[in-house]
Amino acid sequence: MIEVKHLYKKFGELQALDDINLTVNDGDIVCLIGPSGSGKSTLCRCIHGLETIDSGEVYLDGELMDPKNKNKYTEQRKKMGFVFQHFNLFNNKTVLDNCTLAQINSGISKEDAEKTAREYLAKVGLSEKADSYPSKLSGGQKQRVAIARALCMNPEMMLFDEPTSALDPEMIKEVLDVMIDLGKQGMTMIVVTHEMGFAKKVADRVIFLDSGKIVEENTSEAFFDAPKSDRAQDFLSKVFYD
Amino acid sequence: MSDIFTSDNLVFMLKGAGYSLLLALGAIAIGCVIGVLIAAAKLSKSKNIGMVILRWLANIYVELFRGTPMLLQILFFYLGVPVLYQRITGTRMDANPYMVGILALSFNSGAYQAELIRSGIMGVEKGQWEACETLGIGYGTMMKQIILPQAFKRIVPPLVSEFITLIKDSSLISNIGALELLYSAQVLGKKYYDYLDPLILAGVMYLFMTVITSYISRRIERRFAVSD
Repeated sequence: MIEVKHLYKKFGELQALDDINLTVNDGDIVCLIGPSGSGKSTLCRCIHGLETIDSGEVYLDGELMDPKNKNKYTEQRKKMGFVFQHFNLFNNKTVLDNCTLAQINSGISKEDAEKTAREYLAKVGLSEKADSYPSKLSGGQKQRVAIARALCMNPEMMLFDEPTSALDPEMIKEVLDVMIDLGKQGMTMIVVTHEMGFAKKVADRVIFLDSGKIVEENTSEAFFDAPKSDRAQDFLSKVFYD
Repeated sequence: MSDIFTSDNLVFMLKGAGYSLLLALGAIAIGCVIGVLIAAAKLSKSKNIGMVILRWLANIYVELFRGTPMLLQILFFYLGVPVLYQRITGTRMDANPYMVGILALSFNSGAYQAELIRSGIMGVEKGQWEACETLGIGYGTMMKQIILPQAFKRIVPPLVSEFITLIKDSSLISNIGALELLYSAQVLGKKYYDYLDPLILAGVMYLFMTVITSYISRRIERRFAVSD
């Protein structure tokens, strides 16, 4: 479970996040939606600690995530898998090594790490690419490897920061399918996305941000059928072309 | 063609070339150690007062050795430092031209290599660092497994250029009387009143060393390209 309390974040003069409060329960799938620059990616990054926060707290399973408490903080962060927009696979490592490096680094034997890695690579349908380098993969394949790599650390929850935004259109589905599968298995997920179809179908809840504030928090049916806020109505009317 | 090209004279020139190569090899190696240390200091973001001073010194070092002529540095170490030593301690110091030469080349190269290494490390995409961070990979493993190998791949071509520069710039050591390839050519020139042939021969030998270096570098680059 993740709780965000009164989170503020500034980039220079820009108030990127402005008093964010958010709870994500175990098994929840929450989509963060909003126009570009609304702070949804920043929020996702702040939760994992990729950005320092100016004030406010993030709690994982009721425990404060405190960067000053280094060892505990590292362990807490390991419980959250993170998937980037631009995949960020290790360029100089094969697919298999991408999936085993962090495991071996945290004390798991090479054999066990490889076994786990092959399991997850099979799950995302890329067993045959284990020995390839990332540069030989398509965008969709890279992102699936990135998801497998994160899952290898056996996280309690997954954060997705625009996982399909850098993909060619015909590769979006293969990545979303993997994510849907993951959701069905009960993985807690926070997904920053522009894929409204995915949000509508998969999300339990939708959080709509604008100018660093949460404007609307709603179930996905309610959000897409009858958004409460004017800003969300306006946004949706521009996103859906019909 | 004159009677300069006896086997004795050729061996003499080859010996000079060997010294040039040794000087360059020594300087690139010692310079690399200096470069890594300076780059590490410059890259550190620590606000610890000791580190701030170290970073400051590293900046001065780079500016100093990159901003003054190499020949001046060589002369300074060979002619200037002994005077300084005598003024401070009151005793004479005889500088060995080879020692001075290799140190001057190393200090100078260290400044350039520091910048090469720093830019190589900073050139590794931010995403690679962040991926390590989210996976809980520690600093040591991250540097050793991910960042440095990728940085090294970028550094190799400019580092080879640096080595080629060193092979050529080692000729500046001839100014303080250390035997290397150019000095050998000058010795022969003086002996036979013929500078043309020894200088051409020295030029060919420099070219031979630099072209071979380029060739080896291309082989290394190709080996690194497996993950491209």
